[in-house]
Amino acid sequence: MAVGTLAGIFMLVIGESHLSLPGYLINPLYEDLTTQGATVHEVGACGASAGDWLKEGPVPCGADRFKGEAVFKGRAATTIPIKRLIADDKPDLVVIIIGDTMASYDNETFPRAWAWQSVTSLTKEIATTKTPCVWVGPPWGNPGGKYFKNDKRVEFMSNFLEKNVAPCTYIDSLKFSKPGQWATLDGQHFNLAGYKSWSQSITEALASIPSVQSLKK
Amino acid sequence: MKNISMRSFATLFFALSIVSFVQAAEIPLYPTGPSADSSFVRFINGTDRAVDLTAAGSQAKIELDGKQPATSFFPVAAKTDIKGRFSSTGATADVSIKVKPGEFVSVIALNDGAKLKQVVVGEEPDDFNALKVSLSFVNVSAGCAKADLQVVGRSILLFENVMPENLVRRSINPVRISVQLLCAGQSVGSPLNLGELIAGERYSVFAVPSANGSRIFLTSDSVSR
Repeated sequence: MAVGTLAGIFMLVIGESHLSLPGYLINPLYEDLTTQGATVHEVGACGASAGDWLKEGPVPCGADRFKGEAVFKGRAATTIPIKRLIADDKPDLVVIIIGDTMASYDNETFPRAWAWQSVTSLTKEIATTKTPCVWVGPPWGNPGGKYFKNDKRVEFMSNFLEKNVAPCTYIDSLKFSKPGQWATLDGQHFNLAGYKSWSQSITEALASIPSVQSLKK
Repeated sequence: MKNISMRSFATLFFALSIVSFVQAAEIPLYPTGPSADSSFVRFINGTDRAVDLTAAGSQAKIELDGKQPATSFFPVAAKTDIKGRFSSTGATADVSIKVKPGEFVSVIALNDGAKLKQVVVGEEPDDFNALKVSLSFVNVSAGCAKADLQVVGRSILLFENVMPENLVRRSINPVRISVQLLCAGQSVGSPLNLGELIAGERYSVFAVPSANGSRIFLTSDSVSR
């Protein structure tokens, strides 16, 4: 991949557990995006659904990385209202990495009404700030594990998000690998090799979006 | 809304029943969703006079009139009793419903002679799509069997043969259109301009009884936050 494909773009990246623990996506993604010239602020909150980013609330774990090493906050972590984050950072682009926390893998019935309200409340809140946004959907995992992640539901979740995240542009992570291709620790969270692969794919996908390219400085 | 704000009313009306997923869900280290889907209820004035809606056990009141005939959808806890009262110039109708998980329920006040009555219409939508307009047609006009909604100026029927106390929903492109109510194939009342329908938003057209037989009006299906 060429260098500087995201030069000068300030990205605010929010997400779930994948951005919240050492050895997860948070560091590979920070390094890949900054290598491409972006300025990056990542905020992770374990278990946070989209709607949780409208208010401050406790989460079991979380992390923050901005101009330095990642700070892992454990149980002191909270979600931060997206409007406050945007007002403080004034990013060129908001990147949302949420999907697994909303897929209800352990529930036979997908909670459509809840998911719709949660997703659209976040996208509408971002839209009021006129900040462009990209939504990265969930990747394939390994069936089973303590989160009961399964191929059928993750595919359903990805399709649901693709239809409902506008005006955000959707990045379909399912296109980055085959089911089960990236090894996981627990069915849902990858080992470092898996996270590096996902990070590279996200970075390349971002660089291929014309509206993101138009933000380069 | 004349007496208090919509938000204050919602808080009072559903203080004991609003779902808190944080509280309701058994949260493992990383939850992947709520313990139950969300549920919503709203209130509609389908009469030709002002109607007050009062929450049970509260003095909180919403006035629904011709300018604002509908509330937003309020989030409520599924399977719990939602109670209140419609009232208008001495006539009252008790509201008592339960809502299923994932259900959006409209409670509609209608004239019943000089009295009031409530009609309840629910739906469990599966058409959520931010790129399309979602439009439902709710027929609660008993005198309008086999109701159609026709696009004005074209022979296209947006909805066809909708029986009383039924709801039909479909996705359409975000366009400006006016619609005409047909009852048993005959035009009834005046055309209704739906205005600028926005992609990702949800709307309903209600057909209710009127002095001239039936009339239609548009509501936004927005959710109260």
